[in-house]
Amino acid sequence: MTTTAPKVSTVAVMPQPVARRWRKLTPWGVLLLAGVAGLGLQTQLYAGQERTVTTVLMYVGLAAAWNLIGGFAGYACFGQVGFFGLGGYTTAVLMVHLRWSFWLALPVAAVFVGLFALLIGLPLLRLKGHYFAVATLGVAEGLREVVINTPSLTGGGAGITVPTFGDAVTPYLGKDGFYLLFLGLAVAVVAADLLVARTRSGYALRAIHQDEDAAAAMGVNTTLTKTLAFASSAALTGAIGAAYAFQQVTFYPDRLFDVEITVLMVVMVILGGAGTVVGPVIGAVVVAYGSEYLRQHLPTVHTLVLGALIVVAVILLPQGFVNYLREATRQRQFSLLENVRRYRL
Amino acid sequence: MRLKLAVIVALAFAVAGCGSKGEQTNTNVPTGTLTIGASLSSTGSLAREGILTKEGYDVCVNVVNGKGGVQVGNQKMKLEIKYQDDTSKSDLAGQLMDQFNDQGLKLILGPYGSGATAAAAASVERNGQVMVDSSGADDAIFTKGYKRTFAVLSPATLYATSMVEAINELVTPKPTTIAFISADDGFSKTATAAAVTRAQALGFTVIPPEFVPNGTTDVSSALTKIKPTNPDVIIGSAHLAEGVAIVKQSTELGVKPKGFAETVAPPTPDFVQALSKSAEGVLGSTQWTIKTKGTDKWFGSASDYAKTFAGQFNGREVEYHGAEATAACLALVLAVEKAGSTDPTKVRDTLAGLNEQSFFGPIKFNDKGQNLTKTMGVIQIQNGKPVSVWPKEAAEAPLKWPGNA
Amino acid sequence: MARQRVTGSQVAQVTIYGLLQGGLLALVAVGFSLVWGVMNVVNLAHGAFVITGAYIAWEINRAVGLDPFLAMVPTAIVLFVLGYVIQRGLVNLVVNAPIFITLLLTFGLNLLLVNGMILRYKANYQSIPTSYAARSLVLPGDVHVPYGRLIAAVIAIGLTLALAFAVRRTRLGLSILATGMDRGAARLMGIRAAHVYAVTFGLAAAMAGMAGAAVGTVSTFSPADAGRLTLFSFVAAVLGGLGNMYGALYGGLLLGLVEAWGGQLLDTTLVNVVAFTVVVVVLVVRPQGLAGRPFYASRVEV
Repeated sequence: MTTTAPKVSTVAVMPQPVARRWRKLTPWGVLLLAGVAGLGLQTQLYAGQERTVTTVLMYVGLAAAWNLIGGFAGYACFGQVGFFGLGGYTTAVLMVHLRWSFWLALPVAAVFVGLFALLIGLPLLRLKGHYFAVATLGVAEGLREVVINTPSLTGGGAGITVPTFGDAVTPYLGKDGFYLLFLGLAVAVVAADLLVARTRSGYALRAIHQDEDAAAAMGVNTTLTKTLAFASSAALTGAIGAAYAFQQVTFYPDRLFDVEITVLMVVMVILGGAGTVVGPVIGAVVVAYGSEYLRQHLPTVHTLVLGALIVVAVILLPQGFVNYLREATRQRQFSLLENVRRYRL
Repeated sequence: MRLKLAVIVALAFAVAGCGSKGEQTNTNVPTGTLTIGASLSSTGSLAREGILTKEGYDVCVNVVNGKGGVQVGNQKMKLEIKYQDDTSKSDLAGQLMDQFNDQGLKLILGPYGSGATAAAAASVERNGQVMVDSSGADDAIFTKGYKRTFAVLSPATLYATSMVEAINELVTPKPTTIAFISADDGFSKTATAAAVTRAQALGFTVIPPEFVPNGTTDVSSALTKIKPTNPDVIIGSAHLAEGVAIVKQSTELGVKPKGFAETVAPPTPDFVQALSKSAEGVLGSTQWTIKTKGTDKWFGSASDYAKTFAGQFNGREVEYHGAEATAACLALVLAVEKAGSTDPTKVRDTLAGLNEQSFFGPIKFNDKGQNLTKTMGVIQIQNGKPVSVWPKEAAEAPLKWPGNA
Repeated sequence: MARQRVTGSQVAQVTIYGLLQGGLLALVAVGFSLVWGVMNVVNLAHGAFVITGAYIAWEINRAVGLDPFLAMVPTAIVLFVLGYVIQRGLVNLVVNAPIFITLLLTFGLNLLLVNGMILRYKANYQSIPTSYAARSLVLPGDVHVPYGRLIAAVIAIGLTLALAFAVRRTRLGLSILATGMDRGAARLMGIRAAHVYAVTFGLAAAMAGMAGAAVGTVSTFSPADAGRLTLFSFVAAVLGGLGNMYGALYGGLLLGLVEAWGGQLLDTTLVNVVAFTVVVVVLVVRPQGLAGRPFYASRVEV
């Protein structure tokens, strides 16, 4: 005799597949909401604030892009600004020498930077930890020197100027235009972060961070995954660099390849919470806004204060704000000093 | 948990976007004050020169207000300068111009250095502001078709050329070979190229210039390459770090020209301090010396200006960075007075047609915005002090040769 | 640009000068390499320590006229104390954290130190004048060996030898080595790791200070140079390899030679490109550097 399984009462509970789909879509919904809010915000800002927010948006994009390789994959790329500068200079060169439109130059530059990263990623991603950091730093510095030494192409130390008036192919976008551009780029990069955080390939990347050998043993193609992450991070950073180049009009290699930009990216991601999606956003907003504020109000000592703040923040919140918050609410323990006790010698 | 946080962040954005736009805080000061914007490098690698420039601007403000202020139409206005720090980053200077524009500041005094000035000039042109440039000498700034930037100082092409002229005129027997060491930034390269052309035209044998990285303290490779050519003169077109290295490492490596000449570095007190006795006899080019000819109603003659400066800064001697800054401020004041208005377009047109004498020399701009009517001076370090030796009419002492004893 | 034939005396001059440059770089890098090898901490404020040492030696020279090479002793003492306090008080707090954290901490420290110095001294370039530093010993073939750089290079070698000796023969040195190999085991053996780390960092800072005094005598310095000095310490440490007390010496000498010959054979402005290319190539081909032990290349990064 067969016994039939007792009927499970299907009371008023949403069927499982639908619930799961909702949960999957909510983060994207939130991102959309944030994007729309960003648009709305623009109408409320007057000119000076708009510029500051544009800079903050740029750093949101940069931090989220670094998060792909540094946060999720755990590879501390210290040469990220190399991609930024390469994207900027490629765009400028295309616009100056080939008289391309900015809208064509930007994607082409991004793809070019991505391919470049693919190329150097193959040997470099075999390194780990500090060695990877130094190697990428070397590449970034090397790129800067190459730019300085090809003056006929890039203007070298004398800088390069993107055509913006007279017979320029693309008219200057203006404050509002650039706000929208950087907002769009920031949303795109955060979307990329979301993709990584919520999809299978994202799991592969995070597995590599936790234990690369185990991940490989589980069948993850570590080389492919790492390199793709590296290339995407680079391409997105290159795109932001392209936008920055157009915004600045005249720029120099020292600024577009400034190590400080990389460090700011790293600070923002770490303090916000590496490997999360919201972390870099929060970190970028707080740090970028904070340093702008300091610069305007404490003209002589602002970098000093920034350094002190970084030291304090790193000691009290080494895992980043988002992770701290999550663990604190879970354990109902909010003491920052507990934090310190965990990592000290 | 993180999702909740994300929602909170997004909502924060949305809330910030709601509500009506607040009143823009009006930073336009009440009528009666003429406010000028200036972005300077108070921090960062160019902090020192930025501060020297600020001092020059401050002297101008003090003197002008001490004499009752600027006459605009039938109103006397107090002069005031609003400063911002560009942290020695050129592109920040450009952004600060935009910030000044947002605050309604249309009259601008230039930042320190050709890099920052170039970035600022691009913004100024776009925003319809007017800028008087005090320290951006690179001619490249003036080849872009900008109509709203005016430089009171002599352009980069004269920095090294003036020393070539001085050597040609004053040194007997005339030296035969000149070697150039140049930094690879735009300003230095422009100066070198112009000087090489002029030297060749005057009949000198010119060794092909050696370029060194900007800001380096090691020029040994360049010197080892130059040594076998036995130059009579080594001309350095660079800034302080390279300039000191050139003299020091020449001694180390046994490179012994009959004299050194350098742009930018020798007139500054740091040069003598870093080299002590080795600095003797080095030639330098300067935008201004205490013997520069010309007077104006605000500052008098060059020596009057020097006295005023010393009075304001505890007896300290002024050098050309301060003087060129004050001159830029002066040009702006003269233009505003002549135009009888603070409207940027009127001021710009008046600047374009300005033709005045001043403690800094003649101020008259060509159609590109450069001041080519003024000559640069050449100084020589004698007994630890820079002493002007050329042009002859403005010389304090004869040029000593060989400079490199 | 016309290429002249390189003469024999030029070869000797370039090589000797390059080695001397390298000696100075080695002096700068030895402390950096020690800290990285033992504690796995990359000290981004290392260059700032060097410049601090330079300023201290400069002040002493201005105040009492003491020769900068002699002033190395008080400079080293002051910087040892500074390094010890910083390690014990700050860096020890994050030693167990992922590498980003220590990097960020030292970066923040670097900002503090460099901008503190800019506030105090402005960004002027200074130099410690001596009567002999720029004069040279002249070898046959008109090859000049500047005294200042020669002394600096000799001190670099001497310091490296002293360090290697001390690390293997003294108790403290052995505890440093042991803690560097396996902190847990060392503590189980009764070694006070916090103190040992602090001593190591203090030593590194002291050596950086001495290097600063040398740099100040031989060339010019300014707070703006700190970043560049840290970068070159990186390069020297990587080239020479970690896990070996001589690593910084080899790396520094190699770097000096590469820069001197690169500048001679190519346009001088390409010198930095060459240096960075060499670093990247070495990292890819032989990550443990010239003299490093392979263990350090594959060390598990926490």
